[in-house]
Amino acid sequence: MKPWLCALMAVLAFAQPIEAYLHLTAVRAGQTRTLKWQRVPVRWHALDRGASGISGSEFQATMARAFATWEAVPTASIAFQFAGATGAEPFDDDGLSVLGFQNEPDMERVLGATGFLVDTLTGEIVEADIFFNSAFPWSTSAAGDPNRFDLESVAVHEIGHFLGLGHSALGETEVRPEGGRRVLASSAVMFPISFGRGTTHDRALQPDDIAGVSALYPDGDFRSDTGVARGRVTRNGGGVLGAHVVAFNPARGELVGGFTLNNDGGFEIAGLHPGPHIIRVEPLDDADVDSFFSARNPVDLGFLVTFYNRLFVAPSGGQGDAFTIAVRPK
Amino acid sequence: MTRHAHVAAACVLAWLACAATTASAQVATVPSIRWVEIEVGGGLIGGARLGTVDANLRANARTEQAYRLFTADHRFERAPAFHLRAARPFGRRWGVQGGVAVSHPALRADVSADVEGAPALTISETVDQYFFDAAIVIAFEEFRLGRLVPFATAGAGYLRQLHEGQTVIEHGQLFMAGVGVKYPFVSRAAGFVRTAGLRGDVRGYVLRSGIAVDDRMRPHLAISGGVFIGL
Repeated sequence: MKPWLCALMAVLAFAQPIEAYLHLTAVRAGQTRTLKWQRVPVRWHALDRGASGISGSEFQATMARAFATWEAVPTASIAFQFAGATGAEPFDDDGLSVLGFQNEPDMERVLGATGFLVDTLTGEIVEADIFFNSAFPWSTSAAGDPNRFDLESVAVHEIGHFLGLGHSALGETEVRPEGGRRVLASSAVMFPISFGRGTTHDRALQPDDIAGVSALYPDGDFRSDTGVARGRVTRNGGGVLGAHVVAFNPARGELVGGFTLNNDGGFEIAGLHPGPHIIRVEPLDDADVDSFFSARNPVDLGFLVTFYNRLFVAPSGGQGDAFTIAVRPK
Repeated sequence: MTRHAHVAAACVLAWLACAATTASAQVATVPSIRWVEIEVGGGLIGGARLGTVDANLRANARTEQAYRLFTADHRFERAPAFHLRAARPFGRRWGVQGGVAVSHPALRADVSADVEGAPALTISETVDQYFFDAAIVIAFEEFRLGRLVPFATAGAGYLRQLHEGQTVIEHGQLFMAGVGVKYPFVSRAAGFVRTAGLRGDVRGYVLRSGIAVDDRMRPHLAISGGVFIGL
């Protein structure tokens, strides 16, 4: 491996001060680089063996549908190319981006994961691999199987990481008595916790996912057709790090989320359709904080859900006026 | 706009046109015709509910159900309005009129029922709102009370709304019908100013598109008064 290349696991997401959602970044010598593919189409390979009752060809077809879902976003310019089946394993650092099953029974809560080889000088992703944990039961049934996890839904999520997206916090969960969390509801494929067996909701991208990938790979009109909300979240006058800021467009029924990503409590949410939005701020208490931020970041969870006291009007292109939302401690 | 609303607007216009024709036939005297009447004035445009919308997440169920994060009830508040109108009479009975009314209503959203217990609150922005309309005006001379002449009007027009910051413009259509009275205190056959007086009316507007959270038409009631001169 060349010295400037670095392998990262997908769940490692670092604060990135320019864009909202969570775009994966790498930090080198104090410089933050957004991770993204710079050469398209992005070529991917499918591992030539299936698992969990899913054949290699079924696996390949399912992955192709999942890639096509992201490729179909009209405001993003990403493209993929299937480069063939391979016997190479994911995470081999071999220059091939490989998707495939691997049996990891010790990873009892991990359905899948994405890893990268990146150029930390430029942020360019040069290889990304996805594994699906064959210790779980999987399904490719069109309607889903109530006893199995939907492979396409999880693939769409992992391909979001493959593109450079981190996790979204647009979801509500409850703690299971036996440990872990159960998703009550979510409006982002990139929410870190799966809906569970039998549910195929995450085959379809949500506005938050679309805004995230479009901000990362904007097409020609994305920046001029959509607006940016920016501002600060404060508590007792100081900035709040790691607050989840959600913009709701009542006319379209769309929710797009972002985070405060620095100690000043600053946030930006790009990709908002022009018009009024209701802005809601909540602590990151519906999933483990390390699903979103590095453990070394002191994320503030001790405040009450708060709405911004004005309607925010997203402009048609560019940024709206910056505003501050003062939250109260719990 | 629904098909019914189109039909209703057309019927109002047709009825007014018929009324004008009938009324003209009953009048023996031919009035002097002003080329144009200019009116300026102001009034109030009433508020209107814009609808309630829920901020929903996708629930964890195999059937598509919604999980409400919070709800928001939207409305326009009542606001002062100022107008400038120009009318072209085609006789004492009827004429056509066009104008613009400008107002700055507050768009409010009552946010409540937050799933995590955030207190309810009302949030708002101020909108610049322009009604551009053209209408038929029918004067009912047979119901004249001294100098006070009642009239009816109906028309349609263009709705333009600018959100706070004036970078986002919403477009729509408006349909209007109303009644009012004119009180001319100057009326002469010659001279630069042929007539002058006061005018007041009550209008019902139905707005389509523009700022909305659903596809329904929104009714607004407006009252206005002004001074007019006929040139």
